[in-house]
Amino acid sequence: MEIVIRTDKLSKHYGKGRVIKAVDALDLEVYEGETFGLLGPNGAGKTTTVRLLNGIIKPTRGTATVKGYDIVKQENEVKRVTGLLAESPGLYEKLSAAEFLEFMGALYDVPSDILTERIEELLKLFDLHERRDYLLEGYSRGMKQKVLIAAAMIHDPPILFFDEPTSMLDPRAALMVKDLINGLADRAGKTIFICSHILPIVEELCDRIGIIDRGKLIAVGTIEDILTQTDTKTLEQAFIALTGGTEERELLAWRRHENAEA
Amino acid sequence: MPRPKWLIVARNEYRIHINHIRRLRPYFPILVIGLLGAYVAFIAPAVVRLFIDEFLAFILSQVALVMIPIIMFLFFVYLIILPVTYTLQGTQAQQVEIFLAAPIKPSDILLGEFLGVMPFYAIAIVVIAGFFTAALSPLGLDLLQIGLTAIIFVVTLLAALWIGTVIAAVVRTRFAASARGRDIGKALSLILALPIIAVMYAIMGGGLLEALADPGISGPVKSILSLLPSSWGAELILSFASNPGNMGAVGFEALTRFGGLLVFFVAVLWVGTKVASHAYSIEPTTFTASMAKPDGVVYRGVKLLGGGASFGTLLVSVFKDYGRRLENLSRIAYMLAIFVMVNVFLVQGGTDAEGPLVMAQFMFPFLAVFMVGQVAVHGKDSLFLYKKTPRGVGRFVKAKLVQGWLIAVPIAAGITLFSLLRVPQASFISLLVYLGLITLLVAANVALALGLALLKPQFSDSARDQMGSLMLNANVAMFASIGVFIGSMVVLGLGIFNTLLLQNTVIWLLGIIFLYLGKRKLSRIE
Repeated sequence: MEIVIRTDKLSKHYGKGRVIKAVDALDLEVYEGETFGLLGPNGAGKTTTVRLLNGIIKPTRGTATVKGYDIVKQENEVKRVTGLLAESPGLYEKLSAAEFLEFMGALYDVPSDILTERIEELLKLFDLHERRDYLLEGYSRGMKQKVLIAAAMIHDPPILFFDEPTSMLDPRAALMVKDLINGLADRAGKTIFICSHILPIVEELCDRIGIIDRGKLIAVGTIEDILTQTDTKTLEQAFIALTGGTEERELLAWRRHENAEA
Repeated sequence: MPRPKWLIVARNEYRIHINHIRRLRPYFPILVIGLLGAYVAFIAPAVVRLFIDEFLAFILSQVALVMIPIIMFLFFVYLIILPVTYTLQGTQAQQVEIFLAAPIKPSDILLGEFLGVMPFYAIAIVVIAGFFTAALSPLGLDLLQIGLTAIIFVVTLLAALWIGTVIAAVVRTRFAASARGRDIGKALSLILALPIIAVMYAIMGGGLLEALADPGISGPVKSILSLLPSSWGAELILSFASNPGNMGAVGFEALTRFGGLLVFFVAVLWVGTKVASHAYSIEPTTFTASMAKPDGVVYRGVKLLGGGASFGTLLVSVFKDYGRRLENLSRIAYMLAIFVMVNVFLVQGGTDAEGPLVMAQFMFPFLAVFMVGQVAVHGKDSLFLYKKTPRGVGRFVKAKLVQGWLIAVPIAAGITLFSLLRVPQASFISLLVYLGLITLLVAANVALALGLALLKPQFSDSARDQMGSLMLNANVAMFASIGVFIGSMVVLGLGIFNTLLLQNTVIWLLGIIFLYLGKRKLSRIE
């Protein structure tokens, strides 16, 4: 299988003296057509990795290629072959769904005749066609997420990045997004890169996963590989074993203290 | 062939700005061009005719040599800070990510954002330029001179807007990434306009025009202003006014400066496109998180004032939430600055206490509304916190009221004292009485302002919606004060002392009624 994403010691450091290592010497390979999940606790470096791989920010050290394009030297080519659903995306709330998709398509140079047709198809696919002319400010969170996924697909990129695609959604909307991602991977042959800290999502959708913590990739492989490596039975246990568990605490101690005072 | 990216961004920006009149969108440009055409051809000349003699006398005077550059400078600065203020009020970085993920150059984004809002700014530019060309035409300027005058206005003001757009983009990157940054942005957006207001007050009542008639003062001011690009075109306009219809008589130096203005315009355009790559970024700008310090003397004192028990804690919490927002502190700073300017420029040299007290009628309702007028700034959820707790609504209203009094009353007392001390005829007793009455009046205004805010809470996060709501309530409170004041002084013929007594009675009554209604509304809100 062809490797479509390859990182080589990819690093992003911040702060004075570059002491904050958001991503640290990341070596990763993602294959064409697979659904890859990058798993990690909050602040582990998932979003920074996605931004680096989409050419949004520049690495401090190291490099990466996406579909053969260098993320630093061929930034625009990288942007053309990727679609991104960002973690906290900025919607233009004063535009309608159709207008927003038209704008996004134009930004990616989708020819007008194809764009009009594609907008119609995507709006129908996402069950938004009847509300195509309503302003986005009136959409529910799930509907906005649908619009944003449609926007990420508007230029039909071979690689799609989904950063926390279901974290803010209700179960029904989350299920819809999961089905959609499955469909994109199975039927459309897209390579999908998902970032999440929600384990069931990753477990359900991904062919392979990588676990990142404090900027470092600490495990990579299929779920079975990870379970074997960590000698655990569930992904949750493996995740805790790799990223560090919580201390045992007496959770109701404060109550005894209050009773004693009373 | 794909459309230029800046055109796509510009079209998008235009659509967003025109969103509130979506149905009129196809006709909007025709409508605006038609109205502006009518303005330039008929309205501006008609307005100018009302005071043409005074204007012509002014434009040919020595004062104009300095005043026109000052006016141009004010327009210039105003148009720089306008986009910056607009951006600071609602800094959001998320939309930048959309652009950064797409194959588009930062300079295209910048140009697109600039051109997208340009039609709206162009209206202001045409209004300004149209007025001045209409005013200068009666002097007998020929077509070339009128055309060049219009070009000077357009180039100067466009350069200012472009600079403002570039600064706004940089500022957005700087401030939008953190909550603290957004707070700083909102705080700055309020006070940026203060220097312009100061100059305007100085022109209106500060004797600036008279001072500039003195060559000893106007000379240095003119020399300083001549260094600024905003003045370069102004000198040519003045030269046209002195030599109407005679381009040959226009000085070489003035023409050189006009050339300098054009070069300046091209240069800022070029620099802006170069700066653009730094203007669009979502890289974190700070890793410092704000930390709360242990309660100091002030908070401990506030807790004691609140009775020390749970209400004291609640009061301190309300205080902390208020005081830790720079936006609130900048509002206080803004109001104080306005008071100082009003006193320095507009109420100077009075011999009785009425001047400062009349001014208080305008200012203190605003002060009260700006202090306690935002009860739902974090949306409904913050109000529901109180609704959930036993007697929560009543305690919330009480805490906001006490907080408002503790901030507004000392400030108003200090300002009144400062104003009255400048009146030589005011006796010590009258000073104390007026101080007491004004203090009570401000307390009543705080109650009224809180009642108004509770009655119609503004849940929108938008700074413009919040400001719109504040201004509405401030005007209601101000007209209530002024209404009673005029009714008492003019209709009933009462003196200032009795007027203040009557005002106290009425505003306290209104405050109590509105507080009751507001509390009831809050209890029923869903």
